[in-house]
Amino acid sequence: MSDPEIPSDEPTRADVRRIVASSSLGRQLRAARAKQQREQAAGQTGERVPPRPARRARRAGGSLPDFAALQLRIEGLYAERGWRVFEFQRAVWAYLQQGRSGLLHAGTGSGKTLAVWLGALLRAAAQPAPGLRVLWITPMRALAADTALTLGESARALGLDWDVGLRTGDTGSAERARQARAWPQALVTTPESLTLMLSHDTARDQLGGLCAVVVDEWHELIANKRGVQTQLALARLRQWNPALPVWGLSATLGNPDHAMQVLCGPGGARVAGEVDRPVKLDSLIPARTERFPWAGHLGVKLLDAVLTELDASPSTLLFTNTRSQAELWYQALLAARPDWAGLIALHHGSLSREVREWVEAGLKNGTLRAVVCTSSLDLGVDFLPVERVLQLGSPKGVARLMQRAGRSGHAPGRIPHATCVPGHGLELIDSAAARRAVAAGRIEPRHSPEAPVDVLVQHLVTLALAGGFDADALKAEIRTTHAYRALDDGTWDWAMDFVSRGGASLSAYPDYRKVERDAGGRHCVPRTDIARRHRMQIGTITADSAVDVRWARGGKSNGKSGGQSAPASGAAALAGGRLGQVEESFIGRLKPGDCFLFAGRVLELVAVRDMQALVRAGNAARGTVPRWAGGRMPLSSELAQEIRTLIALAAQGDYPEPEMQALRPLLDVQRGWSALPREDELLIEVMQSREGHHAFFFPFAGRPVHAGLAALLAGRISRSRPITFSLSFNDYGFELLSASPVDWAQEFSAGLLSGNALDADIEHCLNAAQLARRRFREVARVAGLTFQGYPGQGKTARQLQVSSELLFDVFSRHDPDNLLLHQAKLEALQDELDADRIAGTLAAMRAARHCITRPPSMTPFAFPLLVARLRERLSSEQLSERVARMVALLEKAAGP
Amino acid sequence: MLQIDLAGESLTLLAERALWWPAQSTLLIADAHFGKGLTFRARGVAVPSGTSDDTMDRLAALLARTGAARVVFLGDLLHAREARQPALMTSLAGLRTPGVEWVLVRGNHDMHAGVPTELGLTVVDEPMLMAPFALCHHPDARPGHYVLAGHIHPALRVEAGGDRLRLPCFAFGPDVGLLPAFGSFTGHMTLEPEAGMRCFVAAADRVLEVPHASARRRGKA
Repeated sequence: MSDPEIPSDEPTRADVRRIVASSSLGRQLRAARAKQQREQAAGQTGERVPPRPARRARRAGGSLPDFAALQLRIEGLYAERGWRVFEFQRAVWAYLQQGRSGLLHAGTGSGKTLAVWLGALLRAAAQPAPGLRVLWITPMRALAADTALTLGESARALGLDWDVGLRTGDTGSAERARQARAWPQALVTTPESLTLMLSHDTARDQLGGLCAVVVDEWHELIANKRGVQTQLALARLRQWNPALPVWGLSATLGNPDHAMQVLCGPGGARVAGEVDRPVKLDSLIPARTERFPWAGHLGVKLLDAVLTELDASPSTLLFTNTRSQAELWYQALLAARPDWAGLIALHHGSLSREVREWVEAGLKNGTLRAVVCTSSLDLGVDFLPVERVLQLGSPKGVARLMQRAGRSGHAPGRIPHATCVPGHGLELIDSAAARRAVAAGRIEPRHSPEAPVDVLVQHLVTLALAGGFDADALKAEIRTTHAYRALDDGTWDWAMDFVSRGGASLSAYPDYRKVERDAGGRHCVPRTDIARRHRMQIGTITADSAVDVRWARGGKSNGKSGGQSAPASGAAALAGGRLGQVEESFIGRLKPGDCFLFAGRVLELVAVRDMQALVRAGNAARGTVPRWAGGRMPLSSELAQEIRTLIALAAQGDYPEPEMQALRPLLDVQRGWSALPREDELLIEVMQSREGHHAFFFPFAGRPVHAGLAALLAGRISRSRPITFSLSFNDYGFELLSASPVDWAQEFSAGLLSGNALDADIEHCLNAAQLARRRFREVARVAGLTFQGYPGQGKTARQLQVSSELLFDVFSRHDPDNLLLHQAKLEALQDELDADRIAGTLAAMRAARHCITRPPSMTPFAFPLLVARLRERLSSEQLSERVARMVALLEKAAGP
Repeated sequence: MLQIDLAGESLTLLAERALWWPAQSTLLIADAHFGKGLTFRARGVAVPSGTSDDTMDRLAALLARTGAARVVFLGDLLHAREARQPALMTSLAGLRTPGVEWVLVRGNHDMHAGVPTELGLTVVDEPMLMAPFALCHHPDARPGHYVLAGHIHPALRVEAGGDRLRLPCFAFGPDVGLLPAFGSFTGHMTLEPEAGMRCFVAAADRVLEVPHASARRRGKA
């Protein structure tokens, strides 16, 4: 994959100094703090919860008018505002009245939220009862506050005395205690916070009286483990109220029926929103394409063109695919237009909440003219003033580009308008392909995961905490979910054994303690320290453990950080204000004294302690760009297929889109040095360099498939002789690099692309490539094997810290049948390698005409693979031989 | 195994991740972390059993092969208090033979775990001086002696010819030398070698010196 994270165009040192001096983020922070202080002075909590009616009135039960009266008020409100009630809204209200569940899917800005919210209110009015009535689940914490505000406002506009509460990881203990005393009528929460509520034995009292559940942005949840967690939580709610209607809201999806069935089960309804509004999609095509860079090095080269676009629009969102790119673009824009300080801002998931809220407020009231952001702004309430969206780098997916385009053009008379700004030459093809896919309605489907064991194990402990469970009853309950509908007894028994005895065999772990059976036969967690740790661990998403970035404050001491730490880690004594969060793996690569760019500043790392990175203002001259792993996105297969078609057209001399016209010089180089493959051809480029012997394959099947194919071919060859391959892959193809040459034509005739024993070969190569080992990181965390540290943790917690890689090795050696290992392998097989599509692509490669070229130099197609940073290795040599060979090479390189 | 000269003494680096000092018939073992799996299980984390047995088997093999008259554990013999279970202690005690002295230089984990008296260990606080060496757990310089220590669990990233590995290593600086962690269930910290530091990786059954300049440059990539 052409790496979007290492642009070469860093700002100069002088630029960085100027930027830091005029940093608008500093201003952002100060403004946000001042706002919070003002609010506190005014006696408010500072939390963005809608103003509440008087406490006493709320206790009285937030009464609703009866159904007919409420319906009249809704009609009145619509008439008063000159709105039209859409057919789909009426359909949702009618379904909710009947108590039916369903999925409402439509583009952004089509009134989905109001349709379901009013429907839920109508249902509550028809069935009056005290306590919490409507539960609103949203995927992002950052969205929850805005949603609560919006829901509360529309309730008040109807003259309703309803309280909309907020319950997320950000909700303070005082607010939680207040909610426990008197529940609001509606509660906005996240899957994790809902699961956390279910881990207490008071859950049924709190949630048993619900009359409707809404799952917002269901398309964001359905395909991941958080969605499975949501399915499990809904199964529990349905145990208490089998007739509970559940409504999902989703953006346009390729498979809405599946999305509906996963959420609602049989009998659900599917409602399509109003016809999608027209969307304008185009590309920023550089004027001089002959000097267009080939790969991953464009960085901010198109800055001038982007500035021109920003000048033309009062408010623009600039989406990047990674946080580090967002930081770079923000810096570059400020450097080019110092007078925009305060008018442009940065928004990504690592920044602290107060900064993000300040930026969102600025977007809403139109005071910001541009915001550089990541997927952190993919979702959320609409920012009316935003007119324009710029996608920096490949959109990577059809649905994603549509979603992002939909964040613009909400003002009357406007339409969404997204412009792709290519990160390198070939990305122009991506933009053209995405537009064609949108026009043809080819949008990525999203599927629910199948019975993940790690989530099951976590759920068992969660429910054991909530006053215990009866095993048979819980098994039946879990089987009502889509993800576990086919859960077999063997897996269930293993999961029960795992949480109660640590493993399948009776004598496995006599010293293990977690879930125990009480005298009444119910499964409980008697130990409070285990209960506490589990509750802190609930949640399945955080991809990498996060480290708080804080200002260092106070004097120096010779504190020693815990665990396995560097000998000289003198740490500042106190931690100060919080700047945001970065991945632990990023901070782990820095040494105290190193500088990095974060939140628009140059920071110097002082020390890492208790999951906190303490920093001080850094020396601008030494600033390095952060390289976060966050946001690495594979190209979707829908987009990949469209790209294949466009290249095949170019091979015939047909350049149907303006992007393809612009790329013609680059494609001519490719054709001149090597070839442009037609759809029935497989292009293979072979060449030699100082690094070794390269072979580049271009099936254009998308990154996950290429990862699998690379490992498969390398594995098949390395079985016959000792050889080590270094693998590299991206969305267009893959590279096999070896120290010794390979005769590819001969390998093909010997059956390298054969479909025989494919499953076994994939399995074998999978093990060798250790993809599963990497996958195990998430599995181990979800299953509660690795424990993310937290500030102020004691020694006991530190003694439980272990890397998932080490655990994977220990399990592989001492408990190879552990289902969590199988889970990791399965995920690697399905998600990383996509075994079915590997088989399909391999068959196509067999059938294709093999076009093996020997280009004189690295071609435009090959170059991005050469510079891809992420490389896998596959070897059949003995470890010690491998090391000896590497040492010999190093000695040779070092010279006498 | 591999012979090196350090502070005028000849030492043997063992691929089993231990150091053998023939002149003193002394075997040095750092960071065995016995009972780490036990500790995890006792606190509700289902780690499989067998890691301590692994570590124990390797220790028994080394004792037999070297015929050492003395074993010095450079700290972190036990992982935590929960590790002090009768079965583990009995197995460990089974490795003791008459005439072989076992010394534990107290490490940070031993402070919390306590010392298993049933093993008949000699327990000392660091530094344990055996000229020219100061045997320690923490790698702090001790003027007048060359420090041999553990605590860090050092590993080295080796990268060449398109291949890349991270391996546990020995690392010898001007005043302080680090031993790899001996335990089977121990993590590692990747070192950034400094000038004047020699590094040796333990790769399966061999110990190999890694040329310094390249390892360092690649390590940062």
